[in-house]
Amino acid sequence: MNSRLKKIIGSLVLLATLVAIPHFLKFHHQDLLIFLTINVLVVASYRIVTLTGEWSLIHAVMMGVGGYTATLLFKNFDLGMWFTLPLAGGVSALIAALLCFPLFRMTQFYFLIGSFAAGEAIRLVWIQYVNPFGGTGGLSGVEPPIIGGIDFLDAIPYYYLALTVVGFCLFILYRIENSRIGLTLHAVHWKAPLAESVGVDTWRYRALAFVIGSFFVGIAGALKVHYLGTITPNQFGIGFMVFILIWVIVGGYNRFYGPIIGVVVLTVFDESIRSFAEIRPAIYGAVLIISILFLPKGLESIPAKFKAWFGIGSNSDAPPLADK
Amino acid sequence: MELILQSIVNGLIQGGFFALFAVGLVLIFGVMSVVNFAHGELVMIGAYTIWLLHAQNGLAFIPAIGVAIIVVTIIGLLMERFLFRPTRDDPLAGLICSIGVLFILQVVATLIGGDGPSKQVPPPFHGTMVVFDSLRIPYQRIFSLVVSIVALSTLWYFLTRTKLGWALRAVALDREAAALQGININRISMIAIGVGGALAGLAGALMAPLTNINPHMGHNVIITAFIVTIVGGVGSLSGAVIAAVLYALFHTFVTVYFGGTLATICGLILMVVVLIVKPTGIMGVRVSE
Amino acid sequence: MGITRRDILRATAAGAVVAGTSSLPTGLFAASNKTVKIGMNIPMTGDYAPWGLPGLYGCEIIAKDINGAGGVEIGGEKYNIEMVAYDHAYDTEKAVQGYKKLVLEDDVKMVMMLGGSTVASVLPWAQRKKMLTTTLLPSDITPKSEYLIATCESHPLYNVTGVEWLAKNFPEAKTAAIVTNNDAEYGLQSAATYKAAFEVEGIDVVDVNLHGFDITDFAPIVSSVLAKKPDIFCMATSFYVTPLMEQLYHQGFKGKIISCTLDYYDEIIAKTSKEFVNGTIFQFPDFDDPALNDKGVNFPDPGGFDAKFRKDHPNDWSAVSWEYPAILLNWIEGAKAAGSVEPTDVLKSLKYTINPAFVFGGGKWWGSQLWGRDNSVVGRWPVVVVENGKARIQEYRSVSDWLAKNKDVLIKHMKELGLRTV
Repeated sequence: MNSRLKKIIGSLVLLATLVAIPHFLKFHHQDLLIFLTINVLVVASYRIVTLTGEWSLIHAVMMGVGGYTATLLFKNFDLGMWFTLPLAGGVSALIAALLCFPLFRMTQFYFLIGSFAAGEAIRLVWIQYVNPFGGTGGLSGVEPPIIGGIDFLDAIPYYYLALTVVGFCLFILYRIENSRIGLTLHAVHWKAPLAESVGVDTWRYRALAFVIGSFFVGIAGALKVHYLGTITPNQFGIGFMVFILIWVIVGGYNRFYGPIIGVVVLTVFDESIRSFAEIRPAIYGAVLIISILFLPKGLESIPAKFKAWFGIGSNSDAPPLADK
Repeated sequence: MELILQSIVNGLIQGGFFALFAVGLVLIFGVMSVVNFAHGELVMIGAYTIWLLHAQNGLAFIPAIGVAIIVVTIIGLLMERFLFRPTRDDPLAGLICSIGVLFILQVVATLIGGDGPSKQVPPPFHGTMVVFDSLRIPYQRIFSLVVSIVALSTLWYFLTRTKLGWALRAVALDREAAALQGININRISMIAIGVGGALAGLAGALMAPLTNINPHMGHNVIITAFIVTIVGGVGSLSGAVIAAVLYALFHTFVTVYFGGTLATICGLILMVVVLIVKPTGIMGVRVSE
Repeated sequence: MGITRRDILRATAAGAVVAGTSSLPTGLFAASNKTVKIGMNIPMTGDYAPWGLPGLYGCEIIAKDINGAGGVEIGGEKYNIEMVAYDHAYDTEKAVQGYKKLVLEDDVKMVMMLGGSTVASVLPWAQRKKMLTTTLLPSDITPKSEYLIATCESHPLYNVTGVEWLAKNFPEAKTAAIVTNNDAEYGLQSAATYKAAFEVEGIDVVDVNLHGFDITDFAPIVSSVLAKKPDIFCMATSFYVTPLMEQLYHQGFKGKIISCTLDYYDEIIAKTSKEFVNGTIFQFPDFDDPALNDKGVNFPDPGGFDAKFRKDHPNDWSAVSWEYPAILLNWIEGAKAAGSVEPTDVLKSLKYTINPAFVFGGGKWWGSQLWGRDNSVVGRWPVVVVENGKARIQEYRSVSDWLAKNKDVLIKHMKELGLRTV
């Protein structure tokens, strides 16, 4: 009872903080907060792909697929955000499902490079075909919704909207991870031969994780384009993909909240060193290397390390399901 | 007809560059099992060295090439010693570290050259060889081609005719077996990344007078290197060289007849097809896990 | 090279840049003056930096001169001008953030931008905050974009003047090939304009080569274009003028070369030869050109401006060095006439001026037939040719006259390339 009460209080405090936070920020930081909220969904959905042990380099492009879908639906069929959001996820999932056939014939290094190639090919198609994708300059003119007189062009209402959508998606992702499917995904990663020997079709589960991840990142793409109003191919290049990797790895990918901690901490860090201008990427690079060398389990492992120092730690360095 | 000839010549010259940096990537991956994402940036640093020493400070071109090779080789050795060696058990960690290096090297380039317009290096070899009216080859490109061939031949000699070369290839084939034979893996890794870095530095130095030099030029380089590596076969050096030339010809002809972006898209699709149909690449060497 | 730029970048700290160089002296010269802030939401790092940062340098020179001379009188009050810049690195997310910072936090009275997707992403906010916003790409103007104006560069319409001049002086050139990057903001707009201009002059376009941004070797592209044997090689707002020129040189091209821009042409000469670059036609003058003393030109002391710019930033002169300053000067004229610095007043006074003080003279508001709103100024534009290794204005030709006669041809070609027209 006590721990449950703690959890409820903790959740309420978190919720109150999330609701209150934009009111204490400058205008342009409110925008940053929106992008951060969307990026939380990006890393959380990436985590489900990595659960099976495969690291793809196409996640950023799948976000773009969602964004472009929403843009084209909005512009050509005048569909509002409540339709474009799920449809964007659907189209991303569909493309991902098609890509499974070539991509999941590969594993590890080959999969990494194969997914990179497939993503880059999709991105170059956006650049090459000015009709309908707008080429390098992309597309513009997407609008946020107006619901009950609230104009979601304003940062704070849109933040609440994004927070709701992202919160709902995170809830589903969390449930998936802790369902039978999620447990099987873990098993595919850590005990692949064993899983196969008891009749788990590892191909199907790896594909499933990829499709689910793509669905949610597609929604993130749509969420972004409805606020920004514009979309360009360069937003989803290898540069952004690298940032996703960094957020996930620096945050730690053994637990659900690891990547989220990573994206939040690094975004705040990044904005705080903005005055370093052009040398900022190098600081980022150095932090990345240092965290890989000295904190291989990510930021999420810090509390456990502290506990270990004081001799009260449990063995939380092992992957949560590896030995169960 | 003349266009075809001109395109073959253009393709071969490109193939020389592609081979130089792809072979380095293959060598590093083969010996150390790490995907060096910063390989394009090593090429970029080679080009910047030429710009800084030759174009800005008047050092002669050939010594400047030497300095570029040394600088990039040293960067490579530092990466092996301080990043790849401690993370050898986890290939993903090595990859991420190389991305960190990528960011740092791009900033170094920005600090050296400033942001803004791409840097230009006036070609040290002026003029054009006119074979006949519509087949013209700039002397600078002939020079690059000759140097690439010499460098690759030297590498081939080193790998097939020297003891160290044998050891290196043995490690690439099966690291554990090689270690059991008493081959010093750390030493071989240093040599692999040293050679790979030197070739990347040379490629950058040779490209410098022929291309736009900017901190982001490594991006196209790494994409090309990946395609060449996959098509040639991940563990195969000769495969990488053959694939480099073939891919350069392919890319040149698609660019001439259909357009440049389409050429890159076709290249990427080709790569995925090779990955599906024959993951070991055209030269079909098995890589040990 | 680059050291000056680097120092400026450091001093100005790309994120929340306050152009310290111009705001410091203002305090010394005229402490009692009010200050009006002008925002620049531009690329100062990355690939697009050459079309942003030099503009900030230019504006700082103008602001320093004005403040040094006691400021500018608007509505009976003396004002100093302070430039406030934000580096968006041509990224739409950063562009939105920068715009909000400038408009909502820094209280600027106008925001100058480069154009394209970065402008598109701030348009809803320009409309809502009624904020005067400027672009160098009038193709950003839409029927709804009331507060977006293009008072200086009428990209790419002025390219027609180069083609007119070429046809008049080299009537033997009968075929042309157009090469450019395949993007709807710069390359395609410009390609459509060149196609229209060539059609009007009876010049056949034998090849339009649109390439992507991932090209490292331009040899195959130039080979394939030269195989069509064009008399004229045309670069339509290409990002790759230098490598293209280099390949033209090596592949022995003997015809006429026309380009929208020829930034850093001394580097091109170093890579090819003076003889080869001589005769190249383009549209952007150096400001030490004596032809800029023409009485129709609305830019105070172009030669002095050029000298100051090259002294402070010796290697940074580009097409935009004088364009953002020209827009700043337009704003000052508008504010003086309105007697107010408020964006809506300045916009009104600018729009109600029948013959706005266009930088090269002969300005008229135009645009509704192409983009749905008369928010762009077109007027005379110089035809520039490289003579003995130096860019020199040959003559001024009227863009508005050409448009009056030939706008239907232009619209046809814009549609053909899939570009937005009204």
